[in-house]
Amino acid sequence: MQIEVLLTGIGGQGVQLCAKALAMAATADGRQAMLSARYGGEMRGGQTEASVVVADTGLRSLPILPSAGSAYVMHHQYWPPVRARLRSGAPVVLNTTVIGPPEDLDGASEFLTVGIPATAMAAEAGAPMAAGFVLLGAYASLTSVASIDSIVAAMTELVPAYRREHIQANEAAIRAGAAAIEAGAADLWVMAGR
Amino acid sequence: MTAALLQGSRAIADSAIAAGCRFFAGYPMLPFTDLLEAMSAKMPEVGGTCINADSEIEAVNMALGAGAAGARAATGSCGQGIALMQEAIAEAALNEVPMVVFNMARGQQDYWQATRGGGWGDYRTLTLAPKDVAEAVVHTQLLFHLADTYRAPVCLYGDYLVAHTHMSVDVAPIDFGPLPDKSWALDGTAGGTGHARQIWTWAMGRDDAPGPGPDVHWRRLAQKFATMGEAEARHESYRCGDAEWVVVSFGTAGPFIDYVVEELRADGQRVGSFRPVTLWPFPEAALLEAAGRARGVLVYEVNAGQMIDDVRLALRGQVPATFIGGVSIDSSGMRQGDLLTVAAIRSRVLDAIGVGAGERR
Repeated sequence: MQIEVLLTGIGGQGVQLCAKALAMAATADGRQAMLSARYGGEMRGGQTEASVVVADTGLRSLPILPSAGSAYVMHHQYWPPVRARLRSGAPVVLNTTVIGPPEDLDGASEFLTVGIPATAMAAEAGAPMAAGFVLLGAYASLTSVASIDSIVAAMTELVPAYRREHIQANEAAIRAGAAAIEAGAADLWVMAGR
Repeated sequence: MTAALLQGSRAIADSAIAAGCRFFAGYPMLPFTDLLEAMSAKMPEVGGTCINADSEIEAVNMALGAGAAGARAATGSCGQGIALMQEAIAEAALNEVPMVVFNMARGQQDYWQATRGGGWGDYRTLTLAPKDVAEAVVHTQLLFHLADTYRAPVCLYGDYLVAHTHMSVDVAPIDFGPLPDKSWALDGTAGGTGHARQIWTWAMGRDDAPGPGPDVHWRRLAQKFATMGEAEARHESYRCGDAEWVVVSFGTAGPFIDYVVEELRADGQRVGSFRPVTLWPFPEAALLEAAGRARGVLVYEVNAGQMIDDVRLALRGQVPATFIGGVSIDSSGMRQGDLLTVAAIRSRVLDAIGVGAGERR
């Protein structure tokens, strides 16, 4: 069984870091993962996209995904190429602080959209830069692709030595995102098994 | 040991170190830079040496020197830097110095460079082209083994997708069996061991120990490369048994072709996929076996058409080969462009086998 997620946003939102944390967490949970990143010019504000594929056994996936079964949307600017590859009914978590209500996202009715005010929640928690982790916590809780504790552990490993002071706030952001929605409401392992 | 999520470059570095590589030199150039960085981070932990050289020419000659002294040594670059290294690679072949050269290429345009080489003399460079990170981990260790088995420089043909994709992998030493000793290695002594500082004397030897001469030397090398050509060809094929059409691709393109084959099979098209795992030696007999009864062979490579030469040589005119690849570079210049997508490949395959737009799903 295999689950794909496309992550999109603009440079500076932490999309690449969150994608890596998700893939590391899934690996730590005993699953297999593939992470492919694509970002233009590596600059703040530019297109940033990543894909993560998680399999319970025998991962067999392309590094450039022809289609995907879920999405994580921090910003709507580069959403169209993600939408084009998403399968109908796919769970999509989106950052409503930036994007607006889920129905504002082009093609929202084709998917199972779940809005989270990630940027606002991160600011409330005193960590405005951790919005990506709020949305990651929500995505993981919604879909059960990786456990929240493993995501926290992966984030802790990924934060460089000179940024250790942010670990606590990042963890709070992940857990706040996870707590904001019903756990397993769109469990992709269960959905894939149907 | 449990699996860890590793970037391809880091996985290759770990695998090289697991194989006993203790000397690495290179000059930064994307997408090779990540391998150099990974080596520089990991080598000190095992007492090895990683040098950021002043140029690719310096790097490859350092690796040549380390290899001549008996170390498991490696270097690398992308195709542009490998171009500068050609003289030293040819010298390594001539002097029978084992070393591994990692080409983390910017695409698939280095096939001729890898399989023909640009140095002088009758030599070949055994080249493995992994399809993904997991295979690159195995290939890395296999290359060090083959380099020592044959006393020859060998290459890995990787690319951005191998260098940059992260996968859960478990890097552990792989035992490929016994190897010949390295009694030929230089020891740098002045004590009359005969191995002070020169491996090859044009096979003329010394006054007190005449050698067989250059003619014998070159004949022996030619025989060695012929033996490698016979023994080391590797391939992977998928659903070729009853295929009317066989698509040939190499490296990271392989899994894309397999994916398209699976899709088209579901639509009732009898297509198969064949991938040379070794670019040299090209698995000629295996391709003829896989595609000899097909209506046609389609060659997909992201370049202007290079591997198709080897495909045609292998098919000996028995089956027609059609080129369905092309040049395609993404805007960064570091990787293949949009031709390396399932949709583009599927469309080219269908065009080539004559399935009209109206008959497509």
